[in-house]
Amino acid sequence: MTLDWSVVWQHRQDLLQGAGLTVLLTVLTMAVAVPCGIVLALMRVSSSRLLSGASAGFVEFFRNLPLILVVYWAFYVMPVLLHIEFSAFTTGLVALCLNVSAYNAETFRAGIQSIRRGQSEAAIAMGYSRWQTMRQVVLPQAWRRVLPVLASTWVSLFKDTSLVSVIAVGELAHVAMQIRSQTFRVLEMLTAMAIIYWLMGYPQAKLVDWIHRRFEVKE
Amino acid sequence: MDFDFQPLLDSWVYLAGGLGLTLLLSASTAVASAVLGAALGLGRVYGPRWLRWPIVFYIDTQRAVPVLVVLVWFYFAWPLLTGWSLPPFWAALLALTLHIAAYVAEIVRAGLESVRPGQWRAGLALGMSGAQIVRRVVLPQALVRMLPSFGSVLTLTIKDTAIAAVIAVPELMKRSETIAGQSYRPIEVFTVAMALYFIVLFPGSRLIDALYRRVAHLGRS
Repeated sequence: MTLDWSVVWQHRQDLLQGAGLTVLLTVLTMAVAVPCGIVLALMRVSSSRLLSGASAGFVEFFRNLPLILVVYWAFYVMPVLLHIEFSAFTTGLVALCLNVSAYNAETFRAGIQSIRRGQSEAAIAMGYSRWQTMRQVVLPQAWRRVLPVLASTWVSLFKDTSLVSVIAVGELAHVAMQIRSQTFRVLEMLTAMAIIYWLMGYPQAKLVDWIHRRFEVKE
Repeated sequence: MDFDFQPLLDSWVYLAGGLGLTLLLSASTAVASAVLGAALGLGRVYGPRWLRWPIVFYIDTQRAVPVLVVLVWFYFAWPLLTGWSLPPFWAALLALTLHIAAYVAEIVRAGLESVRPGQWRAGLALGMSGAQIVRRVVLPQALVRMLPSFGSVLTLTIKDTAIAAVIAVPELMKRSETIAGQSYRPIEVFTVAMALYFIVLFPGSRLIDALYRRVAHLGRS
């Protein structure tokens, strides 16, 4: 078998663009999913049955579905339900946001609930409003516990962006597989794709470990 | 907008077969990655020093690379490299196992390290060998503590098997795609597929949580 690695170098522009889109998808999804996660978590811990039930339903639904199926579903169903044609990129972004928001909601809820009730009761006894208690007592502490989990979610999300390649979003996996089918250099392109993901993902995984050590909560 | 579930009624046997294959692939992957992951986790914690960094490197590599990439590599590139091609199901089983075993190894490591070192010393003081301490003191507690994490990896496994549709393993995801393509009824078909996945995954994770609540006291020390 003859290998021709020059194909990777020839397509460096496309691969670089794909990698850029992978990063962009990750950043945009997180930028949407963090506020959505906070809202869902606040709904979940609120005293309103309706809000908390709606949030629980959303979270459990999307946490218990394969992301690739959500991607397909968004691709076929969103245009029909909403009567708008979305680009593949937007569709992929929506699917990723639905998935990651659900995970973030659980992360924030666990963070909020990890702060002992005594603390919010004390704040209320001191005349704080519920909102002040949340903002000045609970959230600053919960943040430290939430950050490591968010970091792990970030890496999972970075890897999961590869799944939107099935609806032809031109991120790294899709670009690499396109080049593979155009040039028939299967082994070279797929190995290059794995190595590029590795180069981007490995430092992130190590960073996550560092964040976990740095923010470890010792009870 | 009108819905037509007739295509699904016509091919429900085909779809049920896909669900069966999803469950079979999930179960085989779970068993294989539990074995491999336990070996990696034990090797990382108790193995000789020279063995640790290759294991850490392997685990972190799998954490860095998407499972989709591992799947397509083993299905399309592996045969070119070795001349030995794998049928889709086996390629999926291999790739998913290699990927998920890394997560299992991390859980096993965290579980083993959660048992306080004082217990290890107490075991030694009682004249137990290292292997005896692991088997009779550390593992019984660690296994209970690992249970919730194993539960999440199991649901992760079932969800990841859907990605095997990309290499044409005829499981639930792939078969839904096929029916959707043939019937031009993607909304109905994918919505039903969603319901099926949810019905499998939601009670599954609830069941393991309930089991953990019953046995959690056994892991306390």
